[in-house]
Amino acid sequence: MAAYEYLYLVTYDISDPKRWRRVFKLMKGYGDWLQLSVFQCRLSRKRHAELIALLDGIIHHTEDHVLIINVGPAESVKPQVVSLGKEFEVLERQPVIV
Amino acid sequence: MPENDTPIQLELPMPFPELGGDMPLLPARMVNEYQYCPRLAYLEWVQGEWAASADTVEGDHTHRRVDKPTRNFPEAGDIEPHEVLHGRSITLSSNRLGLIAKLDLLEAEDGRVTPVDYKRGKRPHIAKNAYDPERVQLCVQGLVLKEHGYVCEEGELYFAESRERVRVAFDQDLQDLTLNAVNGLRLIAAGGHIPQPLVDSPKCPRCSLVGICLPDEVNFLQGGAIEPRPLAVMRDEALPVYVQAYKGKIAKNAEALEISVDDAVVQSARLIDVSQVVAMGNVYITTPCLQDLMKRNIPVSWHSYGGWFIGHTVGTGHKNVELRTAQYRASFEEHICLTIARGLVRAKIQNCRTLLRRNWRGDDKPDALLDRLKALGEKSLRATDLQQLLGIEGAAAAEYFGAFDKLIKKSDDPRQMSFDFATRNRRPPTDPVNALLSFAYSMLVRTWTMNASAVGLDAYRGFYHQPRYGRPALALDLMEPFRPLIADSTVLQVINNGEVRPSDFISAAGSVALNEAGRKRFIAAFERRLAQEVTHPLFGYKTEYRRLFEIQARLFGRYLLGELAEYPNFTTR
Ligand code: SF4
Repeated sequence: MAAYEYLYLVTYDISDPKRWRRVFKLMKGYGDWLQLSVFQCRLSRKRHAELIALLDGIIHHTEDHVLIINVGPAESVKPQVVSLGKEFEVLERQPVIV
Repeated sequence: MPENDTPIQLELPMPFPELGGDMPLLPARMVNEYQYCPRLAYLEWVQGEWAASADTVEGDHTHRRVDKPTRNFPEAGDIEPHEVLHGRSITLSSNRLGLIAKLDLLEAEDGRVTPVDYKRGKRPHIAKNAYDPERVQLCVQGLVLKEHGYVCEEGELYFAESRERVRVAFDQDLQDLTLNAVNGLRLIAAGGHIPQPLVDSPKCPRCSLVGICLPDEVNFLQGGAIEPRPLAVMRDEALPVYVQAYKGKIAKNAEALEISVDDAVVQSARLIDVSQVVAMGNVYITTPCLQDLMKRNIPVSWHSYGGWFIGHTVGTGHKNVELRTAQYRASFEEHICLTIARGLVRAKIQNCRTLLRRNWRGDDKPDALLDRLKALGEKSLRATDLQQLLGIEGAAAAEYFGAFDKLIKKSDDPRQMSFDFATRNRRPPTDPVNALLSFAYSMLVRTWTMNASAVGLDAYRGFYHQPRYGRPALALDLMEPFRPLIADSTVLQVINNGEVRPSDFISAAGSVALNEAGRKRFIAAFERRLAQEVTHPLFGYKTEYRRLFEIQARLFGRYLLGELAEYPNFTTR
């Protein structure tokens, strides 16, 4: 079966602090915050389309810049990452049990 | 009238019976869907099914630039001949035609108007530069415009990705095609019969309702020759959130749920990843959070601290009234109840038998026992009433639970506590194994209750289990075959793998229950079981149990609506 979800790195440069907050809040709903203006997300085709539509509605095309980088199929990808300082873990999907 | 005149075929302006006052107008978009696939239009228009897909999300996004409506586009008579005008997001309807259309863009020039419809993607490279469903949708707009007195001979499709415009002339052929689609849609809506799914069509993989329609599965079960493609078998993106911690509180923060205990945030979960919220015991959900969950169609189920399922909170519920009507109707028919019940009991007994065979730890082979169960399974198909069936089920349960202890791993060290099982007891369970079984069943009831309501069935109206206040009878019915496969097997798993130990239980006043940590591990094991992939014995493809439940519930609906001659029960080997 074809891969259903992909892992993405999303980075952004937003020139206005108010818009930056909005983008940050939106991104929190779609992925895991890695560091300032960088998120990792697992997205299906539908979520991917949604996220692009929503981001596109917030940013100013002439002043801001968003990059959405596809890292590979979410279930199987093992990104080769050198992580200094903190640990980097690939996002997994699991039920939340508190 | 002179005899030799050929009779003139009068054209009826309204070929279908006049619209009554309460007949809804058909949206142009629906006519498009009908042209794409009549079944799709029926599912959406008559049954109220809707599912977003990547394509529909992109489609909505494409429309956003034209979605800000223009006020006061001039009436047909008020357009000056040399005026050039643009109007956006104009909604027009015609009662005579019984149609309503939302126009993305309307341009007027030289006294004529041209509707422009926005499409995502690129212009298709085919003869007419556009597919029929899109051309038909545009033509509906043209018809409604003409009805309002505008001069309108053609329209345009604008393809957002390739930024190309395609002219579409409203010639006689297209008008005929369009009226044909309009009438066809009215006919199927009035007839109340769902059109057949397409056969092995390349349209289905792109169809947003494929997971609801189940084209290949339905064709296959109706005796089709082609093995189903795993189309509908997508994985659930979203998973449940369980909160069982004492004094847990769930609130919403931006796009996430925040779970706190004693005012300290302990976990957060993105709302897009949440399929349902399971609240056990004294858990508090803030009202704004609950409202947002309802808006997003994320159900909340409520349980006692020990896991007993109390009820659930959903939004306004599923729109598929047709399905529920069929469900009620069938539930009043004794012979239908009996047929359904027989199949469920038989599948359950078969699956019990499989579980025994696979997990047997005794030295002797339980051949005689397996034979007895097999005989009971066959006998259940011959039961003449529910009472008799109940007796057969009871006999099978006695055999099954009589041997259940033989599936449990015993500690080699006699000084260590181990799990023992003598008989099944509940309310309250008096030993750890029974406590686990009861807890697992209540988890399974919850799963099936959510599942049944999510596909539009009424979880409380059953066929085998008779309705009783507050009891999700249908969920109890449909889960029967899955008791051994999901619940009992999870219980065996946690015991035999040592995930839950005898010391994880608390007993008070003769009843036994899992403690908080043990329950957390048990829930995790249960969810792991649901995520396990199985090969569907009929369709041949692999799918997670979680998704399989949904397919089974939908197939049950198809059976109730008369599309399938029988409900295909799930059994494993
Ligand atoms: S899945 Fe195929 S048959 Fe079913 S509604 Fe969609 S296009 Fe029609």
